Amino acid sequence: MSDSADKGETASRLGFALRADQVACELDESVYPLEAIYGACYLYLERCFVFLTRARPGVVAVTLSAREPATPDGLDQLAGEFVNECLAQVTRLRLAQSTTRLREYYTAAALRAAAPAPLVDDLLAELESDDLLEDPLEIMVPWEAQQADASKKDPNG
Amino acid sequence: MAERLVFDRSLYLPEAVEAAAAAYGDYARIEVTASGEATEVLIADVAELDPQMVARAFANHVLHETILRVRQSARPENA
Repeated sequence: MSDSADKGETASRLGFALRADQVACELDESVYPLEAIYGACYLYLERCFVFLTRARPGVVAVTLSAREPATPDGLDQLAGEFVNECLAQVTRLRLAQSTTRLREYYTAAALRAAAPAPLVDDLLAELESDDLLEDPLEIMVPWEAQQADASKKDPNG
Repeated sequence: MAERLVFDRSLYLPEAVEAAAAAYGDYARIEVTASGEATEVLIADVAELDPQMVARAFANHVLHETILRVRQSARPENA
């Protein structure tokens, strides 16, 4: 954040630019991404009037106008809380970005755990199904029977 | 008395300005002009209301519409 006190506005205790019923501050996008600024603005739309301008490349100027007559201290506090909210939004954003994979994993694991477990009756029905009764490799033929068949075919073996 | 607002395109979506202009059409005469890197809005003929207050409320509406649209387009199913 950089103050705009060089534009001839009232002095602010916190370094913001104060006007009659407005307070302004500048936010560097390398510190406060636009998504975070939007997040803070969204929360303040009901509380005050918010207007954004491009102060210079990479810098967003935020002007907050009180809905009711406000004192300089009140405006100072409004802007201070707004900038605090911007910081909270930046933290929230970075945390969300750094834990995306982890959250996806936990969601998938929760969905797998929520899937219904197979019932015993279903497993028994599967065992009795026709597919399992087919035995193309003759695995179900007893070993003695297999050996008897082999000795008949090859009496010298 | 008319109020003039300039919405930077890097901060406000032009379609959000159009949506707000449509919403405020019953309260004032809204003229939207697209220029190079900004969308300019002229708010005039405000009936029985403070023109500056209407302009500020209009800007709030544009910001609200912009944020909703940006968030909508950022959803994974729209990526």
